[in-house]
Amino acid sequence: MSDIVIQAENISKLYRLGTIGSGSLRRDMQSWWERNVLKKQNPDQYIRGGKKVDTSEVIWALKNVDFELKEGEALGIIGHNGAGKSTLLKILSRIIKPTEGIVRGRGHISSLLEVGTGFHSELTGRENIYISGHILGMKKSEISRKFDEIVDFAGVEAFIDTPVKRYSSGMYVRLAFAVAAHLEPDILIIDEVLAVGDAEFQKKCLGKMNEASSKSGRTIIFVSHNLQAVSNLCSKALWLDKGSVCARGNAKTVVNQYLSTLQKQNWIKEFHTLNEAPGNDFIRVLYTELTPHFVDALSVVDIRTPLTVKFRFYNASENILLAVGVHLFTISGECIFDVSHDSLLYKKGIIEGECHIPGDFLNDGSYYISLIFVENSSKQLYYYEACLSFEVADFRENINWYGKWMGYVRPKFPVITRQTEIHD
Amino acid sequence: MNDKTNSLGTTNWEWEIKPGTSWWNISLAELYSFKDLLLQLTRKEFLGLYQQTLLGPFWALIRPLLTVITYVVVFNEVIGIPTGGVPPFLFNLIGITLWNLFSETFMQTSNTFFQNVEIFSKVYFPRIIVALSTLWLQLILFGIQLLLLVAVYLFCYFSGLVDFNAGQGLLVFPVIIITAGIGFGGGLIFSVLTAKYRDLLSLIQLVIRLLMFICPVFYTMSMVPQKFQWLAHLNPLSALFEYFRFAFLGIDNVNAIQLLYSFSFMVVIVLLGIMLFNKMSDKLIDIL
Repeated sequence: MSDIVIQAENISKLYRLGTIGSGSLRRDMQSWWERNVLKKQNPDQYIRGGKKVDTSEVIWALKNVDFELKEGEALGIIGHNGAGKSTLLKILSRIIKPTEGIVRGRGHISSLLEVGTGFHSELTGRENIYISGHILGMKKSEISRKFDEIVDFAGVEAFIDTPVKRYSSGMYVRLAFAVAAHLEPDILIIDEVLAVGDAEFQKKCLGKMNEASSKSGRTIIFVSHNLQAVSNLCSKALWLDKGSVCARGNAKTVVNQYLSTLQKQNWIKEFHTLNEAPGNDFIRVLYTELTPHFVDALSVVDIRTPLTVKFRFYNASENILLAVGVHLFTISGECIFDVSHDSLLYKKGIIEGECHIPGDFLNDGSYYISLIFVENSSKQLYYYEACLSFEVADFRENINWYGKWMGYVRPKFPVITRQTEIHD
Repeated sequence: MNDKTNSLGTTNWEWEIKPGTSWWNISLAELYSFKDLLLQLTRKEFLGLYQQTLLGPFWALIRPLLTVITYVVVFNEVIGIPTGGVPPFLFNLIGITLWNLFSETFMQTSNTFFQNVEIFSKVYFPRIIVALSTLWLQLILFGIQLLLLVAVYLFCYFSGLVDFNAGQGLLVFPVIIITAGIGFGGGLIFSVLTAKYRDLLSLIQLVIRLLMFICPVFYTMSMVPQKFQWLAHLNPLSALFEYFRFAFLGIDNVNAIQLLYSFSFMVVIVLLGIMLFNKMSDKLIDIL
C-alpha cells in the first residue's frame, strides 16, 4: 500500500514571453538561417541545457518542483493564481512536456482539467457520455457498465436523449462531472472542477473524491482554491508560489501556513508624522491595527478567532464632543455592523481606542473596516474608509460538507431540539 | 533536492515524462488501446456533421452531384472537352469522387490541431488518433459517394453506354488507398504548419483549388500538350486519376511505373507526416 506511485524530480517549465514563436514564417526562417547557416548567436534564444537564458524574454512557470506520492495518498496543490499549479497538472497529465526534470510513475493516469472535455453540444447526453468517457480514457465496456450509474449521479435521466446544448448549464456540468467521477484510474488529477455546480452537487463531488481516495486506494492530485476541501480531503499539500515549492507536507499545516501569509497583508497601518497620516483639519489617523487572538498555535484567522481593532488618532479641536464608530463591511460592500460609543469630551491631542469583535461571530470571507469620527453625534468630521482589511478562514470540525456556509455572520447561538413524542 | 534520485533503484516505473520529443515515438500497442476512442471520435464527427440538417448524410451526395452538373455544363457543353465516348456525367463524376477524397482528407486532416486545441490542451491521448479518425470519417463519406458513382455506373452499364471489366475494376482499391494516403500525409504536415502559421490556412484553400486544375479530374492526360507531359507526370496524383478512370471505363493510357511512383510518394509523405506530427505535437500545445 505504501509504494511510491508518482515521483516528480526538478520539474521546470519555461515559457517564452510575448508572441511565442514569431508567428510569421519569414521571421522564423530568417532566424533559422542566422542560427544554423550563419552561426550567429540569437539573442532571444533559450538554449536547452545551456546557460544562456535571457530573463526578459522568458518566464519559468515552474522551477525545480519535486514531490512524490504513495499509493492512496491525496495531494492538494495550493497557491495564488499564476503560481504554476495548472502548469504542473498539465505536465503530470502529459499534455505539455517539462523543459527540465522528469516525472516517473506507475499505473494509469486520468486527468480532469476541465469539465466536459470533448463534449459535442449538438449531440445527446447519451452520445456525450460515451465520447467524454472515451476521451478520458475509459473503455467502451466500462462506460456501458457504468452508464446507469453515471446518469443517476448526474440526475439527468429525463434528458438523456436531448442534445446537451439544450441542457441548463448546471445539468451540463453535472453530466460532465458524473462521467469523470466514474473513472477508475490509479492516479486521478483534478483541477478546480469543484468550483462549479450548486452546493448539493459540490457535496456529492467531494464525497465521491473522498470515497475514491480513502476507500478505493486511489491516488489523487487535486488543485483547488477551496482550502477547506484541501485540508480535509488531502493528506498532503504542496504550496506553489511563482513556480517554486513554498511549503510541503501535512495538508492542514501547509494550508494554515498559506492562509496566514495571505492574511497578514493589511493588518497594520502606521504613520509617523501628522502630514502623511490620512485625515483632514480635524482628525489625523496615525495608527490602525487588527490584532487576532489565536485559539491555538496556528496563526490563522478563522471563524473562531476573536479580533481587536486598535486605533490612534490626533484630534485637532479643543474641547470637542467626539465619538468614533467602527463599520465592518464584507468585501462586496454590505455593512455587517456599525458600532460606536457615547460622545465624550476630548481635548486637543492624541486619542486611542479599540473595538473587540468576538470569535464565533463572523462567517468566513473577506472583510474591511472603516472608521467614522463624529462630532456631537451629528456632524461627520472624517470617514476613514477601508482602513483595515482581513480574511476570515473557514473552520469546520466533524462536518462532512465543504460548500459555502450561508450568512454574513455565523454566531454560535444555541439551537435546541428535543423529542416531545415517540411514535412506534 | 536531488537526493531523491536514489530511490529510483528500488522501484520499477511504468512510465516517464521527460523533456524533449522524438520523431518516432508511436507505440502501436498504445494506439490500439485507443481504438474505441478512434471509432467514437469518427462517430461524433459524423453525427455532428448532420445534426439539425434537413437532408443529413445525403449532403455527402448533393455536393458532388451539383459539382458534376456544373462541370458537365461548363467543361463539356460550353468548352467542349471530349470524354472519349463516355457519358460526360459519368466521366466527371469519376474524377470528382476521387478528387473529393483527396481534397477533403487533406483539408480536414490539416485542421487537426487548429480545431482540437481545446481537447488537446485539456486531456492526453495520442494526438494522431484525431487525425486517424478524420481519415476514417473521410473514407466513410467517400464510401457514400462511391455508392452514388457505382449506381450511376451500373445505370450506364445496363444502358449499354460503358463496358465492365472485373480485372480492371479491382484497381480502384489501391488507387483509393494511395489517394487517401497522400491526402492524409500531406494533411498531417500542414496540420503542424497551420497550427504555427495561421495564414497558411487560407493558402491551403487556394492551393487545393488550383491543384485541381493540374490534376486530370475533368480531362485526360492524353489531352495535355506534349511539352507539358513531363510536368503532368511529376504530379503524383495524375496517375491515380488515370487509373481510377481506367478501372471503371478502360480508357486512358495507364502506366505501372506511374502508379509505383504515386505509391512511393504516398509512403514517403505519410512517414514524413507522422514523424513531423509526432515531433511537433508536444511543442505546439505550448504555443497554440
